[in-house]
Amino acid sequence: MILIAIIDDDPDILDASSLVLKSKGYDVITANNPSDGYKIVKEKKPNLIILDVMMDEPDDGFFLAQKFRREKIKTPILMYTSVSKAIGLDFGKSEIVPVDDFVEKPISPDELVKKVEALLHKVEEKR
Amino acid sequence: MNEKKINILIVDDENGLRLGAQRLLQDEGYEVETAENGETGINLGTSKNFDVAVIDLKMPDVDGLDVLKEIKSKYPNTICFIATAFASYDTAIQSTRLGAFGYIPKPFTPEELIYQIELGVKQRELIIESDRLKKEREENLLEIAYEKSRLNTIIKSISDGVLVINRVGEVVYFNYAALKFLNICELKIGDAAILKLPEKILNLITKIFAAETILLKTFTTQIELLPNNELVIEAACTPVPHPDGNIAGVVIVISNITQFKQIEQIKSQFVSMVAHELKTPLAAVQGFLNIMLDDTIPLDKEKEKDYLARSVIRLNGLKDLVNDLLDISKIELKAKQREIEEIHIQDIIHNTIQLLELELKKKNISIDTTIEQDLPIIKADQNEITRMITNLLSNAIKYNKENGKIFIDALTKKNYVSIRIKDTGIGMKPEETSELFNEFYRAKNEKTRGISGTGLGLTIVKRIVDSYHGKVEVESEYNNGTTFIINLPINNN
Repeated sequence: MILIAIIDDDPDILDASSLVLKSKGYDVITANNPSDGYKIVKEKKPNLIILDVMMDEPDDGFFLAQKFRREKIKTPILMYTSVSKAIGLDFGKSEIVPVDDFVEKPISPDELVKKVEALLHKVEEKR
Repeated sequence: MNEKKINILIVDDENGLRLGAQRLLQDEGYEVETAENGETGINLGTSKNFDVAVIDLKMPDVDGLDVLKEIKSKYPNTICFIATAFASYDTAIQSTRLGAFGYIPKPFTPEELIYQIELGVKQRELIIESDRLKKEREENLLEIAYEKSRLNTIIKSISDGVLVINRVGEVVYFNYAALKFLNICELKIGDAAILKLPEKILNLITKIFAAETILLKTFTTQIELLPNNELVIEAACTPVPHPDGNIAGVVIVISNITQFKQIEQIKSQFVSMVAHELKTPLAAVQGFLNIMLDDTIPLDKEKEKDYLARSVIRLNGLKDLVNDLLDISKIELKAKQREIEEIHIQDIIHNTIQLLELELKKKNISIDTTIEQDLPIIKADQNEITRMITNLLSNAIKYNKENGKIFIDALTKKNYVSIRIKDTGIGMKPEETSELFNEFYRAKNEKTRGISGTGLGLTIVKRIVDSYHGKVEVESEYNNGTTFIINLPINNN
């Protein structure tokens, strides 16, 4: 069974995303703050992490992603963003944002599933 | 000169000649005075500015040349003739050297004398006119010099920087504000602009000089001289046309736009914050709707209803946010056009409590109100003060515990009416208290989870209080409750 961790401070987004992924047969665990998010990733070792870029503080998502990478957790990260354009951050797959892909909010179930599948497929190929 | 009669002095020891000439010239309309010897001649000739003097060369007491010398040294513009029967080349040269205008050989006919006098009068008129012109010119020069120094002073004291470059690229003029804004320590007239000015300005100057015809417009550029918007200038470069049709140079006016830039930055930060806050609930609602529309995701009726209910909650929050934003912009507008009236704080407090009764009952919170008797009336906008009390009281309810208490006091404190709203709620940590009045700040911890808000309520309170030159204070103890104190000035005018 494939396990996906979703970390976002908006309970509605957590719920909606969980439902979408569960309907496609994935197992889902959630956390609504960075410290719980860190904990569930360490304990449950998910196959994929979905991480919101802005939680309590701007950059929280970035910091958490960097923390995972520093600790050699190589689980693919899919990042949720909502205001990348408004704050002038044009996300590219740059070094300072160590994530594998982005999904712009609001989330379309189709796009989310496609991106999740693509990332999992990439991991599969590497093996 | 026409109205005034022309004065003529005749110095001659020969009575007949002297009197004859006098009569002759008086008949011609001249005013004539005479001296019968050299000394009288000197006295008379230096006592007033004669137009013309006719001086006999040989006189028993004083030589005619001496008389000429004395008169000329006092009145250099008196036209002097030397009259003599002993004309010689030497005396002619000598008298000319001493400033004589002409030489009248004796004996002379009346016509000869009149002719000579007329020449002299013409000369006198020319000299006086040229003197007048000379004086006028000197006065003009003085005026120009004064004007120039005045202009200098004006340019030196304007707050914008002014710098002028000639057509070979040398600095020909600058004021001190220009140095300050360009962050240059040393600049001399004649320095090459290319060595001293920022590249962006040089590019504009090059563009102006390179144009085939003079571009009669101003080119501007903005330069961040110190990072993080600490010093930002705007340079406006305008060509100066030369009468020959070419460009004489470029005038650069430099203004400090740092403050403007900083405000712009704050504004754009605020806009992105607002965008984020608006987009968050929209994203949640749209997420739910997308799921409901997706046929591949199974959803039972109950779950669907739950999602719809949650969507409504998010949209309500969005509506509150929009209203709060509108209120903020209203406060800013209203500072200019508010309706000031006499306000009884106690009435507003009681009305607000009534308005929030439902919320109070839900959590079973009791309110204890203490209002000083004869609390001064303050002058303010009723809606703003109501909004302020409402925001504080609804926070006191929202962040209170079940069965908690709220204490409201209002009393006079020196020149202020002091309103205190104290709750027995969850309180705040010091680091949370310090951020409280920032836009969109909401204390987030395990205790505040599930409490909704826009993050603008206290921002609005602070802006209202500030606009009345009041003070807002907050005291809070984590887990024990928070107290807000509003001090509004009692304004009797």
